[in-house]
This record gives sequence, C-alpha cells and structure tokens, in this order.
Amino acid sequence: MKLRKKILCGLLSVGAIASLLTGCGKKDAKTFTVGFDAEYPPYGYMDDNGEYTGFDLELAEEVCKINGWELKKQPIAWDNKDNELNSGSIDCIWNGFTINGREDAYEWSVPYVDNSQVIVVKANSGITKLSDLEGKTVGVQAASAALELLSDEEGQKELADTFKKLQEFADYNTAFVELQADSVDAIAMDIGVAQYQINGRGDEFIILDEHLNAEQYGVGFKLGNTETRDKVNSALKELKKNGKFDELAEKYGLSDMTCLEP
Amino acid sequence: MNFVTMLEQISSGMLKTILIFFLTLLFSLPLGWIIAFGRMSKNKILSGITGFFISVLRGTPLMLQLVVVFYGPYFLFKWSITNWRFPAIIVGFSINYAAYFAEIYRSGISAIPVGQYEAAHILGYTKIQTFFKIILPQVVRIILPAVTNEVITLVKDTSLAFTLSYMEMFTITKQIASAQTTFMPFAIAGLFYYIFNLLISFIMRRLEKRLNYY
Repeated sequence: MKLRKKILCGLLSVGAIASLLTGCGKKDAKTFTVGFDAEYPPYGYMDDNGEYTGFDLELAEEVCKINGWELKKQPIAWDNKDNELNSGSIDCIWNGFTINGREDAYEWSVPYVDNSQVIVVKANSGITKLSDLEGKTVGVQAASAALELLSDEEGQKELADTFKKLQEFADYNTAFVELQADSVDAIAMDIGVAQYQINGRGDEFIILDEHLNAEQYGVGFKLGNTETRDKVNSALKELKKNGKFDELAEKYGLSDMTCLEP
Repeated sequence: MNFVTMLEQISSGMLKTILIFFLTLLFSLPLGWIIAFGRMSKNKILSGITGFFISVLRGTPLMLQLVVVFYGPYFLFKWSITNWRFPAIIVGFSINYAAYFAEIYRSGISAIPVGQYEAAHILGYTKIQTFFKIILPQVVRIILPAVTNEVITLVKDTSLAFTLSYMEMFTITKQIASAQTTFMPFAIAGLFYYIFNLLISFIMRRLEKRLNYY
C-alpha cells in the first residue's frame, strides 16, 4: 500500500511538472521560429556550453534584433524540413540551405554564402580527382543538396553513375566514422561543413581540389510568405552595411565564402 | 566541450526522457484496460473496432505513428501545431503502448479459469465485485513480468522522439556527438539508459516478490 501511494505520488508530480512545461506560452512580441539542423556545424550546432549557436543562428539573432522579433531556435530533423515548414511549426529554414535546384520550392531570401559541394576522402586513399571515384562507395546526407546534385541529370548524375554505390546518411558524424572505418570511400558534402569536420578530426582527411559544383545559400520561407522574407532581406542588407555580417563570417571562418550584396 | 558539460547536457536530456517515460505510462496503463475490455466485449462492433485499433498500432512502426500524430492535425484539418510537439509525442507513445498493454491484460484475464467466475456467482458476488476482488488481483500477478518487459522497451523507445526533434537524451547526444566530432556521448547515453533500466528491473522485481503470496 505504501509503495502504491509512493508511485501514485510520483506520477502526480510528474504530471504537474508536465502541465507547467506545456501550459504556459505568453505571446508578446512576434516570435520568429528558425528551423535548423543542430548537427550542421559551423552553421547550426550545440556549442561547448550546450547552447545552440553557429553562423546562421547568430545571423538570425541579429535579424530579429532589427525587426524586434523574438527568436526561437527549433532544431529539426532534416528529412522533415518540408513538413515542419508547411505545417507552420517553423517560420523558415535557415541552416546552410542551398538555393540551387530548389528555386521554385521556397520563397528565398537574398543569397548570402557562396558554397560548393565537395568530396572528402581519406588522405592516404589514393583518390585525388573526381574520376578516381569510379567503382567507389560514396556517402551523402539524406535530403541534402549534395544528394540532389548527384541525382540530377543536369547536375552530376553522370559522375554518380560511375560510383559503385551512393550511401545515404542521417548525419555527418556517422558518415565520417564510416569513412574512417573504410566502409565508404568518400563523402559528398558542403565545403563549409567539410572544413569544420576536418578541423575537428585532424589531417587524416582531405577535400578534393576538384569541386562538384558552385552554389549559394539562402533562407527558405514557405511559398507565399513574402512579407517575412522581405523583412529578413532588408535586415540582412543592413547587417552587411554596418559590418556585423562580416564580423560573424570572420568569427566562423567563412569570410572568403560570403556573397551578400549591401 | 569538457566532460562535465557533456554529462550535464546529456543529463538534461535524461530528465526529458524520464518525463516522456512517466507520462506515457500514466496514460497508457489505464487506456490499455479500456481497450482490453473493448477487445473482450461480447459486442461484435466494439470488439471489431478495438481489434482493428490494436492491429494498426502494433502493425505500423512507432516512428511513423509519431510523425502522423504530429503533422496529421495540420495536413488533415489545417490546425496550427505550434505547441503540439511535446503533446504529440506523449499521445503517440501512449496510444501505441496502450495497444500492447491491452493485449497483455487480455492474456492475463483469459488465464483465469471459468470455474472461478461460476464459484463467485454462486457465492453471491456481483460481476463488478468478482472482477475487482477475485480476478484483478490474480491478473496483476500474472501479467507483471510481461508488463516489465514493455516498460523496459519503453525506456529505450523514448529515443524515437528524435524524429520529432524533441530534445530528449538521444537527440541531444546526437547533437553533441556531431558538434564535437566524437562518438563518446553515445557511450555515456548508453550507460544512462542501462542504469535507468537496472533501476526499473529492480523495482519491478520487488513488486513481483511482494505479490508472490502463495
């Protein structure tokens, strides 16, 4: 009986906590909910203190300051990004989001980063150019721009057809471990992310000099949501003018990749 | 990120994992009884509907059910789902586990010989008295090992909440692992799950002993 009471008591208190957690939600200023992949450094990730940060998130923070919005950082599963955006649980996708190939699927902000899709291999693999990838297994993130590029007739599908296999991954951490363990021979990914990963893992890996393509990053809004898009655009331009944008790019080592026009 | 911060972060995720765990049990254990009674009802329609409900929930992946519960309200009815993420997880887990519990309850009830109902009837017990005073205490004892099994599975299944990007232990672990480019957090999370389950099997074993009155 005593035990039963204790269990009941425990359950009730958990219930009370839960109602506290979900019950309150004050709405003062407009909240601006940014959807991002929290496993995508340096654009969006968890920092050493356990806070979400990154080039894109700090930029979003500054945009919110200008517009008087309250920023809400909502990590999303990258596979579910369209569901999240269309159902309105986030206001935009802002996380190293490639415009090329998705032009008509979203309302796009102005492009702000010049990106390339590149191939990462082990330094001692003997692979030095794209044609060496023939008959190799190549890893790529599911629903990523790299995957789209490699499956697009007008993109690099011809190259991808020479691969033994295109292996899809949920996140780059797993992909790198598989590369290290030789279960894949190469990974196709964004150059900024590749640089971050290689910095964290030492000189065991290299980026091939030959890039798969050149493309640009923007912020993606739901089709028709031009109002928010325009406000973000003008705020971005303001940040470029007052130098804040370049300061952040410097901080995250992306200076030579930015393309935002003032 | 140093080791202590990593532990702190993973522990904060653990709290959310525990929250999902208890809320799911809180709703699914009673709901399971309702479904079990529906399933065992003499009313063909009622038992048909609950039977279908159970077969769908047991026959489709929990991950898919979570996605349907979270996005469904918007894509079917255009309702806003801004504050729906956490409730959706609880609803998804609860109905799924209720379906499993219902079948466990049913197995327990079927295990009681018909003779006991007849004896209780002759002794003048009403149907409700028979159930609560004679059947239920035995059923609880019979089903406890099977329920323990499900409860332990639930601890591990909470990690599926990462599909809806809820910051429970597994989601946070994955994020730390990718920001720090290491697999270490997974080892810590594994240990946390294991300790949690050790605790649960300990409690359930004590409960079983207490109910072992023969």
